[in-house]
Amino acid sequence: MPLSAYLIMSAILFSIGVVGVLIRRSPLVIFMSIELMLNAVNLSFVAFSKFLDTADGQMFVFLVLTVAAAEVVVGLAIIVSIFRTRRTIDVDEMNALRG
Amino acid sequence: MLNLSLWVLLFPLLGFLILGLVGRMMSRAVILTVAWGACGLAFLFATMSFFSMLGTTPASARTVDQVVYTWVNSGSLHITFGQLFDPLSATMLMVVTGVGLLIHIYSAGYMEHDPGFWRFFSFLNFFIFAMVLLVTADNFLFLLVGWALVGLASFLLIGFWYQRQAAVAAAQKALVINVIGDFGLLLAIFLIFNSFGSLNYHDVFGMLGSATAGSATITAICLLLFVACAAKSAQLPLYMWLPDAMEGPTPVSALIHAATMVTAGVYLVARTSPLFEQAPIALNTVAAIGGATALFAATIALFQFDIKRVLAYSTISQLGYMFMSEGVHNYSGGIFHLTTHAYFKALLFLGAGAVIHALSDEQDIRQMGGLRSRLPITFWTFLIAALAISGIPPFAGFWSKDEILSSLLVQATNTGNLWFYILWGTGLLTAALTAFYMFRLLLGIFMGDYRGSEYIHEAPPVMTVPLIVLAVLSVVGGFVGSFGLIGLARWQPLANFLAPLFATVHAPEVSLGWEWTSTALSIGLAVLGILSAWVLYRKGFAYKENRNPLYQLVLHKYYVDEALSLFIVQPVLALGRAATRWLEGGVLDGGSRNLALLLHGTSALLRRLQTGYVRNYALAILLGAVLIIVYYAVRG
Repeated sequence: MPLSAYLIMSAILFSIGVVGVLIRRSPLVIFMSIELMLNAVNLSFVAFSKFLDTADGQMFVFLVLTVAAAEVVVGLAIIVSIFRTRRTIDVDEMNALRG
Repeated sequence: MLNLSLWVLLFPLLGFLILGLVGRMMSRAVILTVAWGACGLAFLFATMSFFSMLGTTPASARTVDQVVYTWVNSGSLHITFGQLFDPLSATMLMVVTGVGLLIHIYSAGYMEHDPGFWRFFSFLNFFIFAMVLLVTADNFLFLLVGWALVGLASFLLIGFWYQRQAAVAAAQKALVINVIGDFGLLLAIFLIFNSFGSLNYHDVFGMLGSATAGSATITAICLLLFVACAAKSAQLPLYMWLPDAMEGPTPVSALIHAATMVTAGVYLVARTSPLFEQAPIALNTVAAIGGATALFAATIALFQFDIKRVLAYSTISQLGYMFMSEGVHNYSGGIFHLTTHAYFKALLFLGAGAVIHALSDEQDIRQMGGLRSRLPITFWTFLIAALAISGIPPFAGFWSKDEILSSLLVQATNTGNLWFYILWGTGLLTAALTAFYMFRLLLGIFMGDYRGSEYIHEAPPVMTVPLIVLAVLSVVGGFVGSFGLIGLARWQPLANFLAPLFATVHAPEVSLGWEWTSTALSIGLAVLGILSAWVLYRKGFAYKENRNPLYQLVLHKYYVDEALSLFIVQPVLALGRAATRWLEGGVLDGGSRNLALLLHGTSALLRRLQTGYVRNYALAILLGAVLIIVYYAVRG
């Protein structure tokens, strides 16, 4: 398969992720959308890695996976703590920073 | 020759620093030890230097200019801190520290119950220090430093009772008028440096010659110097601060009127006599202002009720005499009257202080009377001082006043100028008025029946001893001066002592006949003044309401304060209020308020962007990222 197929697939996944972040109100779904965006990027890294015949892209994928895992841990912890104090996790309810 | 003038300067400074820093924690005995010690040591060193100078011959070796350190050395500007010790500064040091010491001693009794005891003595020491700096400086810049510090010291002491509104107002008035004088001195110094390129007395006077005589620059310098002198020595039209300075404690009045402060102007004219000799116009101005002030102040003193105020106007009048003398080239006569005046005026003020102390702060002559038997020491010393200031021989004031009047007449007959005859007549008239108001005061306080209700007690010895010392000086103090009457030049020790300083002076030829005429007239007029006071007030002072407009005019001091208030103070206040409203309220406050309002409005608009919704921020980030990508994509 040509490189463009992987890249198109990656772009579609990334766009789905973006739309998910923008329109969903549940933080869990937003998290999943972010993961989707990260993995779309991972897909293009891997595709380029294969296409250019270097290992650099794959190394980056490991880095991204690690960061994503850490991010999820911190994010979930925040969500749990928000739920404990406010009894809701709707992101639109969390607008204390409104000017 | 022994020159200890630096030590004379250092001790009062040391006393001021010690008392100012730790005086609060000291007991009264320790405070007195430090204050008296500082002033006493200064007096001791001044005396030692003075006698060492007397023993030095020839007279030319009596001038020592001791450079302590170089302060500024930049381009053509060389300024050193130097101490000039010569007959003039030696005489001034003796007066300043000697009379100052007596006032220090007296103050211990007068201020005994004051909570600001330590503060008072630290200020007194500071005053002595400033005055010593003024008279020993060897250049115009340090003269200015001393000049301004003296003004500051007077401000601190006049406003010593700072809880009293009147005292604070008087202190401010004194400072403002003094600053006018400082400004004149500053301008004179600029002109001197501009024309001579140096500020040292010796260099400046050395550059004078026939080329500079009568030039407009020299005249301007002298007139500006005289502005400073008029402000410091309370001459017309800058005399207003001195009567108000009575708000300070009485020993301060004595210090300001006798030993320090007001003598500075007389000293400065004598010190810069080489300049004044080259500016006849300025010198005539000095004489004219001196004469006008002498008469003007004497008339005001005629009808005042506050005993200190009478003395204040009498000081202004006597200072007028000193300037008259200097105005007719008789500088040593001015300095002579300065020293004798220091004795009897300090005595008068300290005596008045003893009376006020005895009557528990009563100053109104209408509430006194009959104190002769209850305050005997005060009475006798006051009588001596009154005789001295009235010019009755052989008391000190006679010799110096007679010397001044004689030199006025001699100048008049030598030049044949009508104005000098008028000046001489003014001097004579003032002498008669002086005798009258002094004896009105004396008889009003001590004769007749006691009109007040306070309990009376004679002053403690710490106050009477300085009175007695000053009384002795008021009797014998004149003998250092003038035996010119009998034509014996060697019997004029003070004039001969000061002579080297006034070598460039064109002294008029002395005629013994005219001198005797003047003397006879002045004694006659003084006796006349005393007799009229005796006739009017021998039974004690009786106050009668008097509607005579002339009397009212003099009683209200010619309405000078009222006129000043109307024409200067009120307009300035109105300007200040307008500035507060329009400049500060409108422009400055309004400007910053409008700036704040503008920022507030802008932020109210911008705040809408902060919705608080996470998804809006995410959208903004996305759009930003897309824009950056598009930018780089388009740019290629």
